[in-house]
Amino acid sequence: MKKRTVFTLLLALMVVLSGCSVKTKTDVQVKDGETATEDTKNQKPVDIELLAMSSNESDTNILRDQLTKNGFNVKLNIQPDYSTFKAQQDAGNYDIAVSSWTTVTGNPDYAVRSLFKTGGDYSILADSEIDALIEKAATETKEQYTETYKQLEQRLVFDKAYIAPLYISLKSQAINKDILNPDSVRLSKSRALTWETIDFNDTSKRDKDSLNLTQIASVLTSLDPIKGNDGSINQLNTNMYVRLINLTDDDVITSDGSLSYNHTIAEGNSEYYFILRDDINFAKIENKKAVDSGERVGADDVIFSLNRAKDKNSVPDHRTFTLHEHIKTVETVSDLSALEGLKTAAGDKSVKEALEAGLDTKIQSLVSDKNQADSKAGKYQVIKLTTTEPFPQVLNYLAHQSAGIVSKKQVESINTYDVAKFDVNKDIPYGDQNTVTEGNKYNNTLYTSGPYILSSKNDYEGTFYKNPGYRKGSEFEPKISTVKVRFISDADSALSALRSSEIHQLFAIPETKYDIVNGDSKLKLVTIESNAVTYLLFNTANRDVAKSENLRKAVLYSVNQDEILQFYKNNKIKAVSTVSPIVKTGNELVADAAKVKEFLNAYRAEK
Amino acid sequence: MTQTRIQSTGGSGNPAISAAFAKKQRSPESILAFYMLLNGILVIAVSALNMFKPYVSDTFLPSMFGLTLISLFHLAILLPINRHVKRGGPAPWLPWVAGLLIATSVTGNLFALLLGLNLLVKYRGKDNLAANRWADVWTKLTRSTMPMVGLSFIVFLFSISICSFFTFDIAMATENNYGAILQHPSLAYPLGTDNFGRCLFSRIVFGARISLIVGFFSTLLPVVAGGLLGAISGYYGRRTDNIIMRLLDILYAIPGILLAIAIIAAFGANTVNLIIALGVGAIPTFARTMRANVLLVSTFEYVEAARALGAKDSTILLKHIIPNSVAPMIVKSSLTIGAAVISTSSLSFLGLGVEPHIPEWGNILKLGSAYLESHSYLAIYPGVAIIALVLSFNFLGDGLRDALDPKLG
Repeated sequence: MKKRTVFTLLLALMVVLSGCSVKTKTDVQVKDGETATEDTKNQKPVDIELLAMSSNESDTNILRDQLTKNGFNVKLNIQPDYSTFKAQQDAGNYDIAVSSWTTVTGNPDYAVRSLFKTGGDYSILADSEIDALIEKAATETKEQYTETYKQLEQRLVFDKAYIAPLYISLKSQAINKDILNPDSVRLSKSRALTWETIDFNDTSKRDKDSLNLTQIASVLTSLDPIKGNDGSINQLNTNMYVRLINLTDDDVITSDGSLSYNHTIAEGNSEYYFILRDDINFAKIENKKAVDSGERVGADDVIFSLNRAKDKNSVPDHRTFTLHEHIKTVETVSDLSALEGLKTAAGDKSVKEALEAGLDTKIQSLVSDKNQADSKAGKYQVIKLTTTEPFPQVLNYLAHQSAGIVSKKQVESINTYDVAKFDVNKDIPYGDQNTVTEGNKYNNTLYTSGPYILSSKNDYEGTFYKNPGYRKGSEFEPKISTVKVRFISDADSALSALRSSEIHQLFAIPETKYDIVNGDSKLKLVTIESNAVTYLLFNTANRDVAKSENLRKAVLYSVNQDEILQFYKNNKIKAVSTVSPIVKTGNELVADAAKVKEFLNAYRAEK
Repeated sequence: MTQTRIQSTGGSGNPAISAAFAKKQRSPESILAFYMLLNGILVIAVSALNMFKPYVSDTFLPSMFGLTLISLFHLAILLPINRHVKRGGPAPWLPWVAGLLIATSVTGNLFALLLGLNLLVKYRGKDNLAANRWADVWTKLTRSTMPMVGLSFIVFLFSISICSFFTFDIAMATENNYGAILQHPSLAYPLGTDNFGRCLFSRIVFGARISLIVGFFSTLLPVVAGGLLGAISGYYGRRTDNIIMRLLDILYAIPGILLAIAIIAAFGANTVNLIIALGVGAIPTFARTMRANVLLVSTFEYVEAARALGAKDSTILLKHIIPNSVAPMIVKSSLTIGAAVISTSSLSFLGLGVEPHIPEWGNILKLGSAYLESHSYLAIYPGVAIIALVLSFNFLGDGLRDALDPKLG
C-alpha cells in the first residue's frame, strides 16, 4: 500500500517534469503575433454599460466577451423582464442596450419609421438626414427603394453608428406530425399562424377533437383589434377578424383568405380599390357556443373599422393609430363608370378589369347596401381608400391585425361611453377581456368577422369555436371546429407540453433545443428567416456614447457577427439594420480590431 | 478500546489510510501528516491536468516546481515526525520543522498549518491545560474517518483555490472560444466545454474560490455579530437581553432567502453584497445559541470566583465566559457554511447572484440546466461539486461536535 502512494507521487513528479516542454500563454501569443494585447494592457479599458434582459443572456455574454477583448471594461445591467428593462432604458441607465424589433407588417417602412425617425413611437434619434431618407423611401416602389434603404443603412450604421446590428433570427415552428397534417400548417414570415387551414391527419376528428395551440401571455390586452399590438392578442385577433387583404407566407400582398376578391392600386399610388366578398357573416356567442349572427360583413363595416383605426380618439388607449396615419378617406364606390375610366398603377388595364379578374360573374352593378350584394348576379360592393400621400406600403398595414373588420352595429351598441370621460371602473368597452373571462363578469359580446370566435377563457386556456358563417363550403372554411390556446409562459414547459402531445404546435423553439426536437420522431421542425432583428441601441441622451461618434464606432466594429453565428450554429443570419430581413441592400458589417483601436484612441484623444 | 475503534472506523471508511498508517501509527500528528501529503499530491495532480491544454499560464511551471518541492519536504519529514511522536522526548529541531510546515501552508494546505501548530503545542506546553485540551480535540477528530475525509476535501478545495492563481489560466474559464463549443470530456477539457466553449473543469476550479469565500465570510459575519450580541444579552440579562433579543426576533421573522433577495435587488449583485445578504439573516440564530451558552456558563463557580475577586465585566466576559461558550458556535458555523454555499448557488441559479459569466457553481449549474438532455455533464459536475462541498462541511460539523463535547469520551 505504501508502494502505491510512492507510485502516485512518482507519477505526479513525472508529469511535472514532462511539463517542462509545455507552451505558456506568452509563448503562444508571441507566436500568433498578438501585439495588440500589449497595447491594450498599457491603456486603461474604456467603461461601458450594457443593458439587456435575462432572456438575452447568451447575446450579452458574447458581446461582453467581444468588447472586453477589444479594450472595453463591460458593466452588465441584466433585467429579468421587459418592463424592468424598459424602466432602466427610460431612466438612461445604459450605454448600449440589446434591443430587438420584429416587422410584423412585412414592409421596410415599418422597420424604420417608428424606430429611427425623429419623434417616432420608439425613436430616441434626431437626425434630419435619416428622416429625409425614410420619407423618400416610403413613397418609392420596391424597385426604387433598395438604393434609398442602402443609403439609410450607411448613415444609420456606418457613418453615425446609432445602432450596432447583431443578427436576424429564424422563425421556428415545431408540429406534432402524428396528429396534425404537416402540409396544412403554414409558417409565415410576418403574419400570425393561420388557423383555418390546419387539419388533422385523421379528418374524422375535425368535430370531435380540439386543436391545441399555445401562447405566452394569459392576460389579453383587448379583443378589439385596434386596441392592441402585442403578443398577447396578435395571433388571436388575426384569426377572429378578417382583413381587406392578407400577406402570403413570404410577405407578398394577396387577397387570398381575406374579405376582398381582388384589390388594385390606381395610377398615382394614392388610391386603392378593393372588391368585397359577400359570403362572410359575423359570428356571435350564445350559451358559450358560436352561432351565425345572420349579419353580413360589408362595406359599412369596413369604412367604420378603418376610420376608427386611424382616429386616435375613437377609443381610449388606442394603440395602433400610427400604423394607419396614412389613410385619408375610406368610401364605397357607387359609380361603376369611374372604375372603367381609371387606369391601374401598373398601367396595363382599367381598375374595373383589375378588380373583376378571375371572378365568375363580372361586375354588373355596384350596391351601397351590403345585403343587396350578390356576386352570382354581378352585384358587388367596392371600397376606395385614399392615402394622404403616394404610399404603396399602406397595403401592408391593411394586412395587419389592427385593420381587422369589426361590426359597425355591434361596436356602436357596446361602446356607448364618451371617450373623453372614459372610466375604467364603470365603462366596459368592446373587446374587454373581462367579458370573456369565466366568472361573474362574463358577458361575451364579441361579433367576429374572421374564421374563429373566442367563447371563453380562464388563466389556463382560451376556447375558440369556428365561425359557422365564414365562407361556408369553400376551401377557406375552418377545418377544425374547436381551437384551444393554452397559456404557457415558460419556453421549456411549452416544449414539454408539445412533446407530451398536450399541444400540437409550438413557435420559437430555442436554438439550443433544435437537436431535441429533431430527435423526436413525432415532431417536425420547420424554420424560415423571420423579420426579427436584434441590435445594440446606443444611448443618445446622457452618456459619453451619445456625444462621441468614435466611441460608438469602436463598439460597432467590436461586434463580430461571425462569432454570434458560430454560437447559434448558423441558426441566425447576419444583419445590418432592421430592414435587412426585407430589403437586401448588400451592406455588411465586418468586425475590425484595428479600427476599434483607432476609434478608441480617437475617443481618448477627444476627452 | 481505542485500538479497536480506530480499526473498525478506519477499516470501513478508507482502507488505504488504515492499512498504510492507522494500524501502525495512531497519533494525530501522523494522520495529519498523511493527509497533508495526500492533499499536496492531489493539488499537483489536478493542476497537472492543465498540461494537456493548448497552453498553460506563465506562472504554471515555476509554481508546479514549487508545489513539488513542498510535497517532497512533506514526504521527507513524515518519518522523523512519526519516530519522534512514538518515542517522545526532547527534540530541539521540532520548532524549526513546525515553523517550516506553517510556512508551507501558504499553498492553502491547512493540514500543514494544523500539523505545525500541533507540534508546537506539544513541544511547548506539556503541562498546560489548554494545550492538553487542544491535543485531546485533535486526537478525537483524527480518529474518525468521515470528518477527516470532509476536512480533507475542504482543504483540497481551499488549496486548489489558492494555487489556481498560479497554475490555472483564468482566460480558459471566462473567455469564449467558439471553436470548442459543447465538446465532450477529453484530456484538454477534462469535464468538457460549455456552450461558449469555456473549459468546464477550469470554471469549476475557479468557482470553488467564490463558493468558499462567500461561504466562509457569510458565516463569519453572523458568528461575530450574533456571538457578540448573544454574549452581551446573556451576560447582562434583564432589559439589555430583552431589547437585543426582541430586535433580533424581528430580523428572525423575515425569511432568510427573501431578505437576501431583497438586499441583492436593492444594492445590486456582487460578492460583498452577497456575503452581507446571506450573513445578516443568520445573525439571530447565532445570537440565540451564544446567549444560551453564556447563560449556562455564567452560573459556573469559576465565573463567580472571578467576580468575587473583583474582575471587570469585560474581563469576565472575554476571558472566562466567551472562550468556554464557543464550542457549539464552531459546530453550528461549520453547518452554516454548507447552507451558505447552497444559498449562493441558489441565488446565482435564479439569476440574482454574481454576474452570469463569472465562474460560480450556481451559474455553471444554471447554464447546464438548459442542456440537461443533450449535454447532461454540464449540470452534473457543478452539481456534484456543490453536493460534495456541502456534505464535507456537514461531516466536519458532526465530527467537531463529537470532538468538542467533553461528555463523549
